[in-house]
Amino acid sequence: MEKWDVVVVGGGPGGSYAAKTAAEAGLRTVFFERGRKSGEKNSSGCGLGQRWWRDFPDMMTELQELPSVRKIEMVVINLIDEHDRLRYRSGTTGSDLCANRWTHGMDGISIYRRDLDPYLADKAVAAGAELRTSTLVNDVIMDNGRVTGVKTETGESIGAEVVIAADGAMSTMARKTGMRNRWGGGCTLVPQLDFGCNEAKMDDVIGNAEWVWFGPLYGTYQVNFRDGFHIGAGQWLRQDWDEKPLDMMKKVVGIPSFQAMCRAIEAKPREYQAHMLPWLKKPPKTYMGGMMLVGDAAGFPCPLEAEGIWHAVISGREAANTAAWAISKGDTSERALAEYERRWKASDLGKEHEFGEEFVNLWNSSIFDPKLMERQIQLLLEVSMLHPFSIVFDWGDAHMDCFNQHLDHLMELAPEFGEFGKTYIAPLARGIWPSNIKKILLAAKPKIPALRRLSDENYFKVIAKLVKKLAPYLDPAAKQNAPLSREAYKAGGR
Amino acid sequence: MEEMKLDFFELVKRVDTEKMGDFIKYDREKCNGCGLCALVCSFNIWAVKQGKAKLAVRYQDLCVECGGCWEVCEPEAIDFSYPAGGTGVVIEYG
Repeated sequence: MEKWDVVVVGGGPGGSYAAKTAAEAGLRTVFFERGRKSGEKNSSGCGLGQRWWRDFPDMMTELQELPSVRKIEMVVINLIDEHDRLRYRSGTTGSDLCANRWTHGMDGISIYRRDLDPYLADKAVAAGAELRTSTLVNDVIMDNGRVTGVKTETGESIGAEVVIAADGAMSTMARKTGMRNRWGGGCTLVPQLDFGCNEAKMDDVIGNAEWVWFGPLYGTYQVNFRDGFHIGAGQWLRQDWDEKPLDMMKKVVGIPSFQAMCRAIEAKPREYQAHMLPWLKKPPKTYMGGMMLVGDAAGFPCPLEAEGIWHAVISGREAANTAAWAISKGDTSERALAEYERRWKASDLGKEHEFGEEFVNLWNSSIFDPKLMERQIQLLLEVSMLHPFSIVFDWGDAHMDCFNQHLDHLMELAPEFGEFGKTYIAPLARGIWPSNIKKILLAAKPKIPALRRLSDENYFKVIAKLVKKLAPYLDPAAKQNAPLSREAYKAGGR
Repeated sequence: MEEMKLDFFELVKRVDTEKMGDFIKYDREKCNGCGLCALVCSFNIWAVKQGKAKLAVRYQDLCVECGGCWEVCEPEAIDFSYPAGGTGVVIEYG
């Protein structure tokens, strides 16, 4: 039987980056892709955010040159009301202050997977890994409850010290080993429709931006590439699923302002696909004896917005590094590979998932509730009318009367969101860094006659006693630039 | 104004569908007839007849390989695996 140090199942971003990392560590590595080339099966994308500049600056520089790339500097938000009318269009991005955080400010890119995936697979091959395409791995070889290799569809057996399963949302490896069967409610299904467009007109009309279409009837992303874009929608695959995927697409395509955009950039429907996308509060166990799961197979996509490419690449890297470490000490047992989970939890990937429950709850309880979305959009529109630019252009009455009427609407709407705020927004407060809470409190200090003469230290002590909720932030032992743990936040009381 | 033509089936590219193999397995005994498989399916490979789901004979020509029917089937009457390597749906603009 053929024998390798590392067998990677899957040639998407997670698999290729795992194979590259393993090969660079000197491990004999083979990786399998079921498509004729990487990037052509069940793939979606794909925005590479600012953190790619931080984590993979050399690759980001090279990726800019690939044909489908559009530079992304902002997100354009389109709010559509229950009557299909465009009510609000606004761009959101950071100011130039963000240039301090990243070498490239707020810039990311959109890139089709047919460019990104082969690029990453080539990197792995250049590092010395062997790639086998058009090859489906459809079984595992187990010995005494641990994975010792894989089998291909032609019945070929391939032995491995470590198997890295990067085989997507329906991971055959996870299922055949019994690590998991169905996701059981934690996975979404995403229909996605691509359009080819006039590139010059896209530059003029769309610009360097991703777009979204939100409303009581819609929750749709629009990823913009050099000469095309795609839209995607979806829901969690649960018993309350209530709409045909094609109907979801038709509904968005029917929005008059969407049609107007299509005309302006000469958009022609080009491709349809649907794919599963895990969107979990918490990834289930990601390792067993002889095997680790990465990317979608592990359930790693971001719990707030479900982007998963960066997560796949980071987890692929951590899995391969763990494999190298485990093989070097001659122990690839379940106990040894638990190191993988420790590593990804300590990484930025783990930090993102610390808020999994809060993020999924927030999303799940707002966007799929048409009645709530209708009122939320009214609330947002009234808030937007208090903006100095808006009030200048409201000529319904004397300007100050207009201002007061909008304020009045807002105060009428606000109480409806009390319960929503308490249940879904308030738990996110534990994410505010203690250093920022202190900045806010210090800004208020000169305005409080009874406390303004206290030293900062004593001022915080008094506040912690008066407002129990703030006590965990003001605990001298609390980490200053990190979120509170769920436990510490709860210990603060109400 | 010219209306946008949307023929979704024409928008899916496939290769060697005859070589895809039997990648969906269906156990009629376990089916509870809930019809969710039919509801999540993009191209109607499932239909519920007389309280049981029925799988289209040549589903390989229609399926988009999303796996939604497998995930949503509570009684686990549907088993989905990936089709043979190098066959089926090809995504050029994913």
